[in-house]
Amino acid sequence: MIQVRDVSFAFPHRAVLEHLTIDVEESLTTVIVGRSGIGKSVLLKCITGLLRPQEGSILIDGVDVVQAPRQTLRDIRKKIGMLFQEGALFDSMDVFENVAFPLAYHRAASGKEIEKKVDAYLDLVGMTEYARAMPQELSGGMKRKVAVARAMILEPRYLLYDEPTAGLDPASSAVVESMIRRLQQRKAITSLVVTHDIDLTRYIADRIALLEDHHILAEAGREDAFLPDSPIYQHFIENRERIRAENGS
Amino acid sequence: MARAKSEAVQEWSDAGSAMGRMYGIFFFWLFREPFPLRQLGQQIVRVMTEAFGIVCLSAALEGAMFAWLSGWDGGQFSALSWSGAASIFLLLSTTTTLIGAMIFAARIGTAFTVEIGSMQMSGQLDALRLMAVEPAQYIVIPRVLASIICFPILKALSDGVAIVACMGCAKWWFDISVPIFFQHAGSVLRSTILTTSYIRCMLHAFFISVNACGLGFHFQGGAVELGKTTTKSIVTNLIVVIAVDTIYGVLDSIMGWSVV
Repeated sequence: MIQVRDVSFAFPHRAVLEHLTIDVEESLTTVIVGRSGIGKSVLLKCITGLLRPQEGSILIDGVDVVQAPRQTLRDIRKKIGMLFQEGALFDSMDVFENVAFPLAYHRAASGKEIEKKVDAYLDLVGMTEYARAMPQELSGGMKRKVAVARAMILEPRYLLYDEPTAGLDPASSAVVESMIRRLQQRKAITSLVVTHDIDLTRYIADRIALLEDHHILAEAGREDAFLPDSPIYQHFIENRERIRAENGS
Repeated sequence: MARAKSEAVQEWSDAGSAMGRMYGIFFFWLFREPFPLRQLGQQIVRVMTEAFGIVCLSAALEGAMFAWLSGWDGGQFSALSWSGAASIFLLLSTTTTLIGAMIFAARIGTAFTVEIGSMQMSGQLDALRLMAVEPAQYIVIPRVLASIICFPILKALSDGVAIVACMGCAKWWFDISVPIFFQHAGSVLRSTILTTSYIRCMLHAFFISVNACGLGFHFQGGAVELGKTTTKSIVTNLIVVIAVDTIYGVLDSIMGWSVV
């Protein structure tokens, strides 16, 4: 379980998170929604220890990431897979090598086992036929699918997604959405997704939290979150409608 | 105007800090397991293939330039028999090292900065961290060590190319035969000259690669900033090359490491 407790993070001259608290429950998909630039990606970076909050604690399986020494942090990170916004595939490696990299580097399997495992994960995300393609030959959606395979190859307990459908066309978004859903159903991984994509949220979320004014403003299950009187619905849907109306579109 | 000036000062101060921190990071990770042997091999091949052509081309031009200068001046002072020895001495002791280092900074240093900077920009360094791989160990250590290993080899190759080019041009332009070209070479060349020039090569390679990797590693921003950072990489490294050569030259004179 991931427990974020009273976390505050600020860049010089700009507060991003203030006393933010949220629990990411086991085997469920929690989606954090919020406007662009509100601090969703910063929260993911704090959880993974890439950024260190000024206040608060982040417990992953009971270990505080904020206070963890380097070796402990490395051990915790082996439990986490993360999909970055653009996929962050290594340019110098082809798709197969990208997915195989974590296993090969940590010598977590023999050559044949690696091959078998990579094939299985590429099959899971539907990228088998692109195994020898270079990242620059892939579309945005394909890159993200490969990045998910790479994130999952060490079989992490937690999978974090940073705007998995941002910048994708509707068809590619739908492909990524179905892949996330399929992975959830087959692997029952604890997932944390940050997005401003309401369609994705509707499709994959078990729990939804609204990040607004530097902290979690509201939290609810999927059914409750989309009820008209829910604060999440009001902030996320009605605000959009109101802004559109104000701008005359 | 004052604001632009203070921004420029801030930018260079940040760049200095990025390079300075990389020296600490380099030595911190150098002796830690696992040693990135495979990446070191890949980087040696990469540095050799990327720098070989341009370093040798510049060495050939340096050889031709010295053939002309020494042949012309040697003719003026009726000392043509010394032109080969003078050229070889100047090429091997100073020029191929100094100009080679500048070419190395331009070709390899900027490549390191752009490559690591774009990895930082696209989240690849963070992706490595999340796979429990330390980017400094995996990315920086092999590049710096490959530079330290490769630049002296490139210097040896470019020395050969420079001497052959110088000899060929001396024959072509001033009709200086090969035996005359090498007549006094033995009396000016000492092994200490070669030793110190190779030590200088290793120092140049170390400073160039650490500075370049540091600027890329601590890069923040977008494409425009990456362009500016690359410019900083080459400008800084050219200054560092001259500074290192000057300091080493002064120490060499005082200590008498390469006395003829």
